[in-house]
Amino acid sequence: MISREICAKILEAAVSTGADYAEIFAENSMNHTISMVSGKVDSISDGVVSGAAVRVYKGLRSVMATTVDLSEEGLLRCAKKAAAALGEGKAELSIVLRDRLYTNIHPVRVVPSSAPNREKVEILRAACRGAYDYDKRIRQVTGGFLDVDQNILIATTEGIRATDRRIRTRINVTALADAKDGGTQTGSCSPGRRMGMELFEKEVDAEAVGREAARQAIVMSEAGYCPAGVMPVAIGNGFGGVIFHEACGHSLEASSVAFGLSQFAGKLGEKIAGEKVTAYDDGTIPNAWGSLNFDDEGTPTRRNVLIENGVLKTYMIDKFNGRRMGLPSTGSSRRESFEYTPTSRMTNTFIGEGPDENEAIIASIDNGLYAAAMGGGSVNPTTGEFNFAVREGYLVRNGKICEPVRGASLVGRGSDVIMNIDMVGKDRLLAEGMCGSSSGSVPVCVGQPMIRVSSITVGGR
Amino acid sequence: MEFKDFKTIVADAAKRAGIEDYELYYVSKEESEVSLFNGEPTDFTASLTGGVAFRCIVGGHMGSAGTQELSPEQAESLVRRAKDNALTLEKEAEVFFAEGGAAYPECRPMSMPVLTPDELMHAALAANEALKVSHEKITDRCSTQAVTLQTQTSLMNSRGVDLSWTNSVDAVILDAVVSDGTEDNEDFDIKAGDPAGLDLKEIAGKTAARAAAKLGAGVAPTGVCPVVFAPSAMYSLLITFASAFSAENARKGLSALKGKEGEVVASELVTLTDDPFYPENVYPQPFDGEGSPTARKDLIAGGVLKTLLYDLSTAHDAGKQTTGNASRSSYDSPVSIQPYTLVLAPGKLTEEELLAQCGNGVWIDTLGGTHAGANPISGDFSLQSSGFLVENGKKTAAVRSFTVSGNFFDLLKSITALSDKAELPRIGLPSVATPAVLVRELTISGK
Repeated sequence: MISREICAKILEAAVSTGADYAEIFAENSMNHTISMVSGKVDSISDGVVSGAAVRVYKGLRSVMATTVDLSEEGLLRCAKKAAAALGEGKAELSIVLRDRLYTNIHPVRVVPSSAPNREKVEILRAACRGAYDYDKRIRQVTGGFLDVDQNILIATTEGIRATDRRIRTRINVTALADAKDGGTQTGSCSPGRRMGMELFEKEVDAEAVGREAARQAIVMSEAGYCPAGVMPVAIGNGFGGVIFHEACGHSLEASSVAFGLSQFAGKLGEKIAGEKVTAYDDGTIPNAWGSLNFDDEGTPTRRNVLIENGVLKTYMIDKFNGRRMGLPSTGSSRRESFEYTPTSRMTNTFIGEGPDENEAIIASIDNGLYAAAMGGGSVNPTTGEFNFAVREGYLVRNGKICEPVRGASLVGRGSDVIMNIDMVGKDRLLAEGMCGSSSGSVPVCVGQPMIRVSSITVGGR
Repeated sequence: MEFKDFKTIVADAAKRAGIEDYELYYVSKEESEVSLFNGEPTDFTASLTGGVAFRCIVGGHMGSAGTQELSPEQAESLVRRAKDNALTLEKEAEVFFAEGGAAYPECRPMSMPVLTPDELMHAALAANEALKVSHEKITDRCSTQAVTLQTQTSLMNSRGVDLSWTNSVDAVILDAVVSDGTEDNEDFDIKAGDPAGLDLKEIAGKTAARAAAKLGAGVAPTGVCPVVFAPSAMYSLLITFASAFSAENARKGLSALKGKEGEVVASELVTLTDDPFYPENVYPQPFDGEGSPTARKDLIAGGVLKTLLYDLSTAHDAGKQTTGNASRSSYDSPVSIQPYTLVLAPGKLTEEELLAQCGNGVWIDTLGGTHAGANPISGDFSLQSSGFLVENGKKTAAVRSFTVSGNFFDLLKSITALSDKAELPRIGLPSVATPAVLVRELTISGK
């Protein structure tokens, strides 16, 4: 990509007006998505993201300039623009760059950007077929095969110059079934990994992805509406972890905490969750969807214990917001692409295993809801108000799982809800999603074993 | 490399690949933004981005590929990838490029001044000063931003279309954080316009007052009752379910409005128009993402569905003309069908009269989680809400952290009144201008 000598020149230009830190983030990425509708290849999106961002800090001020012109002159112009915006001053840093090699903990055997379209189409076709073959009542199936090949270079005035190639592959299927009372119900399944085409050899059975989407659509097509009210809720493992992601995770990001705009600001060492809750943000899990070798500021990712037995242990911190907090980076800086200003984000965030059996969790509920599968959600970290959708829900009566219900969402305040997690199961599982925030859309895992929230508002009708 | 040089190399590469029918779409964006936290500068960004998409018809299919790297190697790669993608496609619909020689609507771009970093700083500081004195509950944790953005869009194809459009917009963003000592709340607003001409004091005052009104809010009681959606909430609903008007979604069986043109789909009070030139929305569009002319049109008039939104391919299928609604959300996004500004025609009641007609119910002004809690295909929704109770025809206690549930298509039929003033809560494409809307009954889930 950009040689060490040119990187040094750019950083020199970037700090020429007195910056105390400068960084180059350059990128050349291939994004490819094949979409299938009714068993036929419907569209293909195929793009190359290419450009660079130069960022400089002075104290608590940050300036970023971006360009799609990766020539030496283009990059220097970009660096000078950033330096000029910082104001007038003199260079105070001298640049010494050393190449750094990070261990690649996410090996890829078959690079998907080098695989022909037909190979991906056949996998996608099998997945969609899995949905159609599951039940005659499936009337429409859409699917997608996504692969990303992101090549990045980071060089900073701390002396690092490092490159990485981040490859990820994902498949998704959405199945539609006509509901018994009219209308349409959907089910979906979308596994992905920091892997190449080998994902479909052992990890993911494409047809099973389609079958799972269809199963969910059929269950929901037979469901009545979820009742409304406040009740205990058991939330299933895997994507159920979106509750922690929304209700707590975002509010532990330095982008909110550094400015006192989080319910959990100033609460390190305090009990903020039920005592069975131990939660992690771990960017080091080999080949997991949200993992990285190092973050988008060049800090190696790590396993951060966010909450231990209910007590807040750490926030997720990037270099820039860390300055305001007086705390070092936790390897949590992320950006969708060079076009976004990076900030603190989650990687693979999950509640760890607890002491309870799933049967005991269900048996403890007299009148409530079992949310077997969750959809997405959102949160306002300042107020902690969050929402998320139940994709597959069942009523629980007298400790038994009863009929399926649809159309439910769960709402509340993060600080209340994580305190109300009073049972935690043992079947921890991760699930893949995309998380959107100020620095763009980034791949993350959420996860948990089955948990019980003793009381939460269920929006039904 | 400049786009004009890149264009020539791509045309050569296409010719050598035996491609006769092709199109190039180019977007270049120059944006600067200053962000302040409590009046202290935290971030300044200056970006120069954009890219090129190449589409070609090969074997009856429309292949496409995009790049941000304008180099001779990428020109070759674009053509090769787009052709390979076309040969992979299996969709049976016929595909088209816009023909040259069409008449385009007379519409003027926004030409707000391109602001210097100093001017941006000045605007963001002025917004912060306005926030500081906006409300007694305001905190020192507010942030403000000022943005200047120029977008140039060019589209040329082998059928003689050669179009270009430049739009310049400035905007100020205010995020008001208020506190009563025990809890915080926030609200924000984005106002487009030359900052010198904006009444920042008024904008800051309204934003902070909205945030402060919800401090100490309770939870609405669970039950079924009449609901008023304020413009800000109706905006969220219409944006979420706008995809039902796409003829492409109808063709794929993903729209509940499929086959309903000419039928009653809403209360007779409902007239919904799509307007590419809505004056307050600052992104006027004379041509769409395929290069077809844009036009204003009624989607629903007096409750009857007049038309869906079409691009060239879906219009051909339906034996109609394109409505000029082919959209590209970024330079390399696939062409989809989107409205510009959906305008819900105001009714006759003042806000007070609308509340009086509501009687006892809930006024909802904020909806959250529309990407997850709403199903655009079935119309079902269950959404996080906040607002006020309506008691005896008056707004009373603030309420939050409850949900409203129903079905959008049923809701359209049970609109019983609209207020007499439409508002555009957010600029953008697509956007919505709407009055407050009274709905007969919906389910509220709270305490």
